[in-house]
Amino acid sequence: MDKFRSNYDEQVTPRLTWITDAQLEQIHYASLEVLERTGILVQNQEALKLLKEAGCRVRENRVFIPAWLVEECLRLAPKRICVADRLGRRIMPLEKNRVYYGTGSDLPFTVDIDTGERRVSRKEDVSRAARVMDYLPNYDFIMSYAIASDTNPCVSDLHQFEAMTTGSSKPVIFTAHNAANTEALIEMAAACVGGEDNLRSNPYIILYSEPISPLVHTNDGVGKMFKCFEYDIPVVYTPGVLAGATTPVTKAGCITLMNAEGLAGVVMAQLKKKGAPIIIGGGATPMDMKTTATLYGAPETSMNYAIMTQIAQFYGLPNFTEAGCVNAPLPDVQAGVEAAMTIMLTQLEGCNLVHDVGYLEGGKTGYLPFLAICDDIIDMARYTGAGTRITPEHLAVDCIHEVGPGGNYMGHEHTFKHFREEIWAPRFFIRYLWEQWEARGKQTPVDLALAKVREILAGHQAAALPEGAAEEMQAIIRRREAECRS
Amino acid sequence: MSSLKELAELVITGDIQKVKDATKQLLEAGEDPLRVINEGLIPGINEVGVRFKEGEMFVPEMMMSAQAMKAGVELAKEKIGGTDIPTAGKVVMGSVKGDLHDIGKNLVIMMLESSGFSIVDLGVDAPVEKFVQAVKEHKPQVVGMSALLTTTMPVMQEVIRALDKEGLRSKVKVVIGGAPVTQEYAEEIGADGYAPDAGTAVELCKQLLN
Ligand code: B12
Repeated sequence: MDKFRSNYDEQVTPRLTWITDAQLEQIHYASLEVLERTGILVQNQEALKLLKEAGCRVRENRVFIPAWLVEECLRLAPKRICVADRLGRRIMPLEKNRVYYGTGSDLPFTVDIDTGERRVSRKEDVSRAARVMDYLPNYDFIMSYAIASDTNPCVSDLHQFEAMTTGSSKPVIFTAHNAANTEALIEMAAACVGGEDNLRSNPYIILYSEPISPLVHTNDGVGKMFKCFEYDIPVVYTPGVLAGATTPVTKAGCITLMNAEGLAGVVMAQLKKKGAPIIIGGGATPMDMKTTATLYGAPETSMNYAIMTQIAQFYGLPNFTEAGCVNAPLPDVQAGVEAAMTIMLTQLEGCNLVHDVGYLEGGKTGYLPFLAICDDIIDMARYTGAGTRITPEHLAVDCIHEVGPGGNYMGHEHTFKHFREEIWAPRFFIRYLWEQWEARGKQTPVDLALAKVREILAGHQAAALPEGAAEEMQAIIRRREAECRS
Repeated sequence: MSSLKELAELVITGDIQKVKDATKQLLEAGEDPLRVINEGLIPGINEVGVRFKEGEMFVPEMMMSAQAMKAGVELAKEKIGGTDIPTAGKVVMGSVKGDLHDIGKNLVIMMLESSGFSIVDLGVDAPVEKFVQAVKEHKPQVVGMSALLTTTMPVMQEVIRALDKEGLRSKVKVVIGGAPVTQEYAEEIGADGYAPDAGTAVELCKQLLN
C-alpha cells in the first residue's frame, strides 16, 4: 500500500469519522438555506451574468442561489483531479482518502538560519524553502512559504513562482495578485513543461484563491479562478476565516457558512466551464478572543477539518485543509504538540491537500528547521495512519513457538526480517540514552534539523528546467513589470 | 435610582438595555448629560480597556461594552442637542488600496471609539485620494492605515507623500499597522507611529496627541 492512502480496505487502517450521515445532511441543508435565503455578494461581472442566466435571483450584486442549481453543479464538478509534477509524472491524484502535505504561502517574516534573527522575508527564502521541500520526502506539493518582499510588489507573485518551480519539481500551489498575473504565471509554468498543451494535459500548478467571509466573492478572487479554468488549471477556492469574527463562533455555524461559500464557488466554476476542476475546503480557524491571533494550532481548527473533509467526501469532491501550522513563535514543545495533533488528525481524516505545514506564530513567521521537523511528524502520522498488519506472518505464531517460554527475540530471523517496518525510525527526534546524548553534544531535534537544512541547501539540486525556460520566465516577469508601470 | 458609578459598572457588564435604562433615569433625574458621559459611561469603558489588556476580558465582551456605552452616549447626546461632544480626537482610518483585510482595522476602530475618539471609517481598498479627501473634509488629528499584504504596504507611503504634496502632512499624525508592518517600516516611510495591536494603537494615538 502506498504512503498516501488512508481509510482504504486493502489493509484496514484506522478510520476517523467525526459525525453521522444525518448530521452531514443537516450541514448541507443549512448551507443550501444560506445560499437561497441570505445569498452571496458577487463583485465579478462575468460570474454575476452567469449566475443570473442560470436562474439565480439577482438583486444588484446580491445573488440568491437555488438548491437545485447547487445539486446540478455538484454533479458536474469532477470527483477526481489528477495533478502532475513539473516532469509530467501524474503523481498526485486527488481522490477520496489520498492525503498530501505541503506548506503554506506568503509568510511575511522569516527567522534567518544564519543569524537566528527574525526579519522580513525575501525571494531567497522562497527559493530555499522550495529546495528544502524538494528534498524532504513527505512534502508532496510546494507553496511559497515566504513572501518575496524584496521584489517589485506588482510582480512579487511571479517572482515567488519562479523561485518555487526552479527550486523544486514538485507540484506547486500558487497565490497570485490578479487575473492578469495568473495568466502570466500560467505562461511561465507552460514554459517549464514544453508548452501550454503539456500543461493542460498534465497540470502541475494549482491556484489558491479565496472568497471573503462572510459570503463575498471578489472580482480578483473569482477572476483568477476563471482565468485558470480557461487553461484547465485546477483551483482551490476556499475561505480563510476567523470564527467569531468573520463566521459564527460555533463550529457548526462556521462550517455551514464556509460550506455555503465553497458551494457558491462550485456553482460559479461549473457555470464558467462544465467539469471545471475545483477543490473545496478552507482554513477554519477561530480568533483568539484575548490576543486576536489566528488560532491555527487550536483543537477547534482540527475538529472543523474533520467535518469539512467528511462533507467533501459526501459530495465526492477533492478538498483542502491545513495542519502543522502552529501558534508557537518558535519550534518548541508547544509547536511540536500543535503540529503533531493537527497532522495526525488530517492523516486519519483522509483530507486531500493539507497545507500550511511549518507555519509559526499563527501564520506570520517561517523557519526552515521547523519544516524539517514537520517532515518527521508527517512521517510518524503516515506510519501510524497506515495501521497495523494482521497477517499470519505478522501474528507470528511460529516464531513465538520457536522461541518458546523464557527465550528472547533479538536474534530471531523474524525480528531481523520485520524490525525496520514494525518500528518507526525518526530522523530528528532524539532517542539516545542520556550518556549517548551527552557524548553527541546534547543536540536537540531543532539542532539536528538545522544541520540537515544546511546540508540540503549546500548539496541538493532540483531536477533541471528545460533549456530556455529560466530565460522565458524572466522575460515574462519583465513584461508584466513593464505593463504594471504603464 | 442608579449612580454614575453604577452606570460605569453596567457598561462593564455589557448589558445594553440596562445601560440605556440607567442613562435615561439619570438624565430624567436632571443629571448633566456631559457628566453622565464623562463620569459614567467613559470610565466604564476605560476599565474595560484595562481589563482587556490584562487578559481578563475578551473581544466579544469588549464589543458588547462598547455598544452599551455608545447607546448611552446617544441618549445623552440627544439631551444636549446640537452641541458637539468633546472627543479625544478625530481619526480617519482605512485599509489601503488593494487590501481587503479589515478585521484588525475594525478592532482598532472599535477600541479607539471606546476611548472617546471619533472615527471616519474609509472601509477597505481605500485609494490614496480617498485618504487625502477625507483629511481635507474631516480635518482629523490622526490618519490610521491598515495593510496586511506586503504588496499593499507601499500604498501607505504613497498616502504620506500625497498628504505632503497637498500640504496636509504637518496637520495630522499618521499611524500604521497590520500583520507584516513593523516599527522599522513606519520609520522608513515617515509615519509617526506603529502599533502591533489594537490596545497599543489607542495608547499610541493618545500619546501622539499629547
Ligand atoms: C483572515 C485573513 C484573511 C481573510 C480576511 C478577512 C477580512 N475580512 O479581513 C481573507 C481570507 C479574505 C484573506 C485574503 C487574503 N489574504 Co489573508 N490573512 C488572514 C489572516 C489569517 C488573519 C488576518 C486577521 O484578520 N487577523 C486578526 C486581526 C485582529 O489581526 P491584524 O489584522 O493583524 O490586526 C491587528 C494588528 O495588526 C493591529 N493593526 C491592524 N491594522 C492596524 C492599523 C493601525 C493604524 C494600527 C495602529 C494597528 C493596526 O491591530 C489589530 C488588532 O489587534 C492572516 C494571517 C495572520 N496571522 O495575520 C492572513 C494574511 C494577512 N493573508 C495573506 C494573504 C497572502 C492573503 C491573500 C493574498 C490570499 C490569496 N491568495 O488570495 C488574500 C488577499 C485579499 C486582499 N486583496 O486583501 C498573507 C499576507 C502575506 C503578505 N505579507 O503579503 C497572510 C499573512 C497569511 C499568509 N501567510 O499567507 N486573508
